[in-house]
Amino acid sequence: MDDRITLRLARYRPEEEAEPTFEEYEVPCRKDWVVLDGLNYIKDQLDGTLSFRWSCRMGICGSCGMTVNGEPKLTCETFLTDYAPGPVRIEPLQNFPVIRDLIVEMTDFMQKLTTIKPWIVRDEERPLAEGEYRQTPDEMSEYMQYSMCINCMLCYAACPVYSLDPKFIGPAAIALAQRYNLDSRDEGSGERLDILSQHEGIWACTFVGECTEVCPKDVDPAGAIQRYKLDAALTSLKSFLLPWGAR
Amino acid sequence: MAVHETREHDVLIIGSGGAGLRAATSASAAGVSVGLVTKCLLGKAHTVMAEGGIAAALGNVDERDGWKTHFADTMRGGQYLNNWRMAELHAKEAPDRVRELEAWGALFDRTKDGRILQRNFGGHAYPRLAHVGDRTGLEMLRALQDSGVHLGVDIYMEYTVIELLKDGDRVIGALSYDREKGAFTVFHAKAVIIATGGIGKLYKITSNSWDCTGDGPSLAYHAGAELIDMEFVQFHPTGMVWPPSVRGLLVTEGVRGEGGILRNKDGHRFMFDDIPPLYTDQTADSEEEGWRYTQGDKEARRPPELLTRDHVARCIVREIKEGRGSPHGGVFLDISWIKEKLSDAEQHIKRKLPAMYHQFKRLADIDITKEPMEVGPTTHYAMGGVRVDADTQMSVVPGLFAAGECAAGLHGANRLGGNSLSDLLVFGKRAGEFAAQFARDNQAGQVNHDHVEEAVRRTLEPFDDVDEAGGEGPYQIQEDLQAMMQDLVGIVREEEEMERALVGLERLRGRARRVVVSGNRAYNPGWHAAVDLGHLLTIGEAITRAALERRESRGAHSRSDHPDKDPAAASVNIVIKKGFDGTMETRRETIPAMPAELQAIVEEMK
Repeated sequence: MDDRITLRLARYRPEEEAEPTFEEYEVPCRKDWVVLDGLNYIKDQLDGTLSFRWSCRMGICGSCGMTVNGEPKLTCETFLTDYAPGPVRIEPLQNFPVIRDLIVEMTDFMQKLTTIKPWIVRDEERPLAEGEYRQTPDEMSEYMQYSMCINCMLCYAACPVYSLDPKFIGPAAIALAQRYNLDSRDEGSGERLDILSQHEGIWACTFVGECTEVCPKDVDPAGAIQRYKLDAALTSLKSFLLPWGAR
Repeated sequence: MAVHETREHDVLIIGSGGAGLRAATSASAAGVSVGLVTKCLLGKAHTVMAEGGIAAALGNVDERDGWKTHFADTMRGGQYLNNWRMAELHAKEAPDRVRELEAWGALFDRTKDGRILQRNFGGHAYPRLAHVGDRTGLEMLRALQDSGVHLGVDIYMEYTVIELLKDGDRVIGALSYDREKGAFTVFHAKAVIIATGGIGKLYKITSNSWDCTGDGPSLAYHAGAELIDMEFVQFHPTGMVWPPSVRGLLVTEGVRGEGGILRNKDGHRFMFDDIPPLYTDQTADSEEEGWRYTQGDKEARRPPELLTRDHVARCIVREIKEGRGSPHGGVFLDISWIKEKLSDAEQHIKRKLPAMYHQFKRLADIDITKEPMEVGPTTHYAMGGVRVDADTQMSVVPGLFAAGECAAGLHGANRLGGNSLSDLLVFGKRAGEFAAQFARDNQAGQVNHDHVEEAVRRTLEPFDDVDEAGGEGPYQIQEDLQAMMQDLVGIVREEEEMERALVGLERLRGRARRVVVSGNRAYNPGWHAAVDLGHLLTIGEAITRAALERRESRGAHSRSDHPDKDPAAASVNIVIKKGFDGTMETRRETIPAMPAELQAIVEEMK
C-alpha cells in the first residue's frame, strides 16, 4: 500500500470566490491515521488557513462531522486506509449553509432543539430535600439509547426530507423529544406532541432511515420517529375517532 | 480609532463547560443579564470527555458515606494542601448539586430500587461516583445545556477572549474576537467569571481537547490575579499509548473501579509492591480482598489500583523506566481477567464501560473483554489556577471570579477522580450567585479605549509580519513548547532541567513574538493558535517557577533531586503574581490552620 494519500478538499473563501473549489493535498497514509489526522497535518504543515471544526478526537464531542467521499462521517473515527489508494474527497456536511471551507452554520439546529423542550417537564417539582426521583434500571433503559446523541449533525446531513424542507425539525431533535417522552420522570409528552405533530414535525418524515444508518452512536432516530408517529396517531385516534375510549 | 461592537451584561461568563453553564444557570436565576462567551460551539466543551462520574456522598450504595468522609478523603488525596473551606463546602453541597442535575433531567445508572447508582474510584472510601456508563461528562453537559437554553442567557459561540478589561483595580469586561469574522467585540460587564478549564495542551501527551490552552488563568494573571498550586499538574495514570495518533486519550479510572488490574510485562501485579503510609490501613492485603471490594463487599479494603492518581502514575513510570513496560512504552491494564470471576463478564464490561470498549475496538483494534489494554500516564488536569475566595469564588481582583478547573484550592496537591465534575457544579453555582450579587452591588466601570486598541494591535501583529525575515508559523513553536514541557517539567522533575526550561521558555517567547500567519481573519486556525501560544507560555512559566520553588516531592509534584516530603512545606502554597515590572513573582504562603471541628474530622478518619 502506498504510504501517501491525496485529500481533495472543498475550500470556500467567500471573500474571494462565489462557489467552493477543490484543492488537493498529499498527506501520509498511516495505518492509525483517521481523516482528521490528515486534516490537522495539512493545517499544521501545509496550509495554516484551512478551516474546520474538531475537538475531542475520541468521538464524543461531535464537532468533526464532514462529508467523506459523499457520506456523512465523524472524521475522528474514519480511517484513511479505508480509502486507499485515494484520492479521498472531503466536503462540509450537506444540507447546511457553508461558512468557510469545511465549517457549516448550525444555529438552525440549536434553535430547533429548544422548541421540543428538552428537559423534564413536571406539573409539580419535587423538592431537593426529598432526594432524587426514583427510576429503575428498566425504566432508564427505555430511553437511554436516545440519550446517546452527540449533536454531530450527521443525521441532518443524511436526511432527504431536511434537504428539501429546512423547516423539518429533523431526526436528532425528534429523538431528543422521545428521550424525554419515554423518561419515567417526565410529564411533558403532551406539550411536545403539540409541537411535533405540526407539519414540520414527525409527519414530514418519509422513513427513509438514512439518519439511523449514519448515526455514530446508534441512537436510531428513525426508530424514534416511527414510534412517535404511532403514539401520536393512537393519541389522535383516541381523542377524535374513538370517543368511547381506546384500549 | 476603530469602532468595535460593544455588548453589555451584568455578568459575563467565559467558558461553556460544566462550570460556565452551571454559573450561567445560577446567575440567570438571580435575575441579572448574563452573557456567555465560548471558544467552541455550545455542548462541545471539554467536559463532554469526562467519563467516570461525579463524586458526591449520597450514600446510596453504602450508607456509611457522608460529607465528613468525602471531606477527609479529599484532604488526604490533596496531601492537606487543599483550601479546607472549599473542601468542606464541596463535600457538603455536592449531593444536592447532583440531585438538582438529576431533577433537571440528567440520566444516571440506577440501583435496583431506583436510586442513583454510585461506583468506586481511587481515593474515595466508599462507592461515591454518580455516573452513567463511562460518558458522565456528556450527560452532565447535555443536561445543563438542555435545561439552560431557555433561561435567556446570551451565548456567543466561537468567540475568543484575548484580554480582561479593567477600570482601576476592578475587572469590568473583556475584549474578544469572533472566529467566524475575526471582528473584535468589547464585552462590558459588572462581573466576569472565568470558567475556561484546563491547560493540557501545554504538554505533548494529554487527554485534553484542543481548546484546553490555559486561557483563563493566563488572562487572570495578566489582570493582577494570583495563581496558586501551579506546580501540581495531574498526570492521569491511564492514557492510551498505542497507536501513536491517539496517544494520551483517557482510559477511565472506572476500568479499575470495575475490577481492572495493572500488570507489567512479566505479568506481575506491581501495584501491591508500594503502598504509601497514608493509605496502608485502607488498602487490601491480597488480590482476593481487592476483588471483593470492587464487588461491593463492605468488609473488604480497596485494591492498590484504586490508590490516588499521583501514586499510581508514579508506579507506572517506575515500571516503564526499569524496563518492565509493555511493548509500546506503557503497562498493561486488564479488565478481561474478570471472566475468571463472572460468567457474563463480556456483557458486564460492555454494559459498564461501553465507551472504553468502543474506543479501543475502533482506534486500537483491541477487544478489552478479551485482552489487556496498554496504558501510560497522560497530562490530565491542573490542580493549580486562579486563587479564589472559598465561599464566593472571587479572585483578589474585584469583579473577577473563577470556577472549575481554572480555579484552584479544592484539590490541593492531587485531585481525586470524580471531584472535578462535582467541583464544577458546586463552585459554578456559587460563582454565578456571587457574581450576580457583585453585579447588583456595583455600577458599571469605564472601558479604557486606549487599552482596547493596544490589545487589538498586539493581537493582529501576526498578520503584519508576513514579509519579515525570520518569522515562522505558530504550530512548530507550540510543538516545541509541548515537547519541552513534557521532557523538562513533566512527571518527574529536577532543578537543572527546570532551569533549562525557563531559558527555553524565554527563547520560545522570542519566536512567538515574531510569529506570522497567512490568510485573513475569518476562521483562521493559524491565528487562533498564535493567540493560544501567549497563554500557554504564561502558564508554562508559572508551572515551572512554582515547581522550582517546591523543593520536595508531594502529591502530583515529584522531584528526583528532592524525593521526600519536606515537613516545612507541608502547609505552604506557592503563590504566583505578576510584578510591577511585568516579571513573574513567586512567593510562599502558609495555609491558615483548619478550625477545630474540621481538624477533628481529619483526625477521626485518619
